[in-house]
Amino acid sequence: MLFCDNKAVCYDGIKAPCFYFFNSDFSIGKEHLMITIENLTKYYGSNRAVNHISFTINDNEILGFLGPNGAGKSTTMNMIAGYLPMSDGKVTINGADVTKEPLKAKRNLGYLPEIPPVYPDMKVHEYLSFCAGLKKVPVGKRKSEIDRVMGLLKIKDVKGKLIRNLSKGYKQRVGFAQALLGDPKFLILDEPTVGLDPNQVAEVRELIKSLKKDHSVIFSSHILSEVSAVCDRVVIINKGDIRAIDTIENLEKSFTVSLVLHIKIKGSKGKAASIIEMTKGVREITAVDDEGDGVYSFTVQLEGDSDSVRDSVMAECLKNGISIIEIYTDRPNLESVFIELINRPAKKDGLRELLDEMPDESGDSDETEDEDETEEKEDE
Amino acid sequence: MFPIYKKELQSFFYTPFAYAMAMLFMLLFSLSFSTGIAKLDNSHTWAFSFTEMFYSVILYFIFLLPILTMRTFADERKNGTEVLLMTSPVSTGRIVIAKFLANITVYLFMLAGTVIFPIITAIKGEVVMSQLICAYIGIFFWGAMYIALGMLISAFTENSIIAAIIGEVVMFALLFVDDFANTPFISQYPAIKKFLYAFAAQPRFSYFSEGFIRLSDLTFFLSAIIVLLIWTYIVIEKRRWNRG
Repeated sequence: MLFCDNKAVCYDGIKAPCFYFFNSDFSIGKEHLMITIENLTKYYGSNRAVNHISFTINDNEILGFLGPNGAGKSTTMNMIAGYLPMSDGKVTINGADVTKEPLKAKRNLGYLPEIPPVYPDMKVHEYLSFCAGLKKVPVGKRKSEIDRVMGLLKIKDVKGKLIRNLSKGYKQRVGFAQALLGDPKFLILDEPTVGLDPNQVAEVRELIKSLKKDHSVIFSSHILSEVSAVCDRVVIINKGDIRAIDTIENLEKSFTVSLVLHIKIKGSKGKAASIIEMTKGVREITAVDDEGDGVYSFTVQLEGDSDSVRDSVMAECLKNGISIIEIYTDRPNLESVFIELINRPAKKDGLRELLDEMPDESGDSDETEDEDETEEKEDE
Repeated sequence: MFPIYKKELQSFFYTPFAYAMAMLFMLLFSLSFSTGIAKLDNSHTWAFSFTEMFYSVILYFIFLLPILTMRTFADERKNGTEVLLMTSPVSTGRIVIAKFLANITVYLFMLAGTVIFPIITAIKGEVVMSQLICAYIGIFFWGAMYIALGMLISAFTENSIIAAIIGEVVMFALLFVDDFANTPFISQYPAIKKFLYAFAAQPRFSYFSEGFIRLSDLTFFLSAIIVLLIWTYIVIEKRRWNRG
């Protein structure tokens, strides 16, 4: 058996370049150009790290994977990359199931794990040429490919250095360079900017943005500003559950529906209230505080475009001789959206509302039942 | 598979590791060699046996081979590079075989260093070639089996020192398992004796050292290597499943 295996390997070794081309040409069919994740679940013992998550990564898209530490981001990424076996569910990369056709699936994948997978006793260019071989980059192309990724990550100046002597930031970039070798269609980057200085962080973000042209990127982070700066869509995850999948604009918009206007006026309370209520775009006055000396502050719920409503409220008040001391809108930014989503308990209704992308209704309800069961167990 | 093999060789030969190992092995061999020569008496035919030397060399294996194999998987795990190998388009089986072949290459390099002693002997006298070649074949297979065993032990842990120590203990036990089976106490129970004897490599090697290549002995070593490699593969896969 040993001998057999050997022969097969040699055969593959010779055929590898042609196979590589054939494979990549073949797999660029329109309908398969994506990673689909269905019902992905991972248990560590009885501890559930990832709970029936499903989403897709489309062509030429940067998908942000956002969640606090310990949310299950790395576990999910390890499963997508085929390192960790999943307890349940399915990951398909370009039509190839990661568990059933791992070699085919992994050819289209570049992965940068949380800890850069570098050999401390290798030099940078040795390491990259090893990785190029591992990823079956054709021999003739290896040198140019290594040069290309070293140029992209700006590590040409350290190429003769031992990796053990590099700083954390450089190690991270060497790991990143490895993921780009062979120009894989999909890139999975697990917290690629951790440990970099602000300058390098900006560079790496630019790089990720520029990768969008030819690649699809899944990119995890617990830093919100990073995700909003780089990603097209965001998957927000906490404790193994998806809390939201949407574009950043939509997420912000969906929470700006419940805008709040604070206005502090001097004058007649009843008059002001009626004026404010009459203004178009005002839903209701939720609170009125008497601050003495004829000063009242109103908390007003708005709908629609907050800026124009604020302007018209201001104009109406001034027209009617009510002086405005203070006016501002309370706009929930992405930060508060994030915090709210993370802290919101994953209730059935909430999930229904949020997971537009999850088509399987029965799967959805199963999931909640599962959760209840485990919660009960935990209680015991 | 080839890139992994090459990388493993680089890690042995671009560092002093392989050379230090080969040197140490030669040094230990020369120790046996010089005692062999010192034992020569003043009779008309001066003779000493290389195959006897190989017996003492096998004892050195216990200390050298675990050091060779200890890093095989333990270090990959420690550096986090296991992820790289596992997420590359290379199957686990090929990773195991590539690493085994790389270890075997270093081992052959170590053995090649010892050829100098028969050569010196041949210059000044005569060497029984058939016996020597058979002994080399035997010692090669024995070492290959120990390498597969060392790799298995390395796959169990992420600390290479622990891998080396456990390897030494297990190899030591395996080396003397036939002596243990021959003790009067075990001899009382023929079933146990027979069972223990099935694991003993030394009686197998003695046929090689006498110039016999028996199919049963070859089968013993080859099947042991295959079983240990498959076991290594299973351990690695199992650890992936149990990770957490």
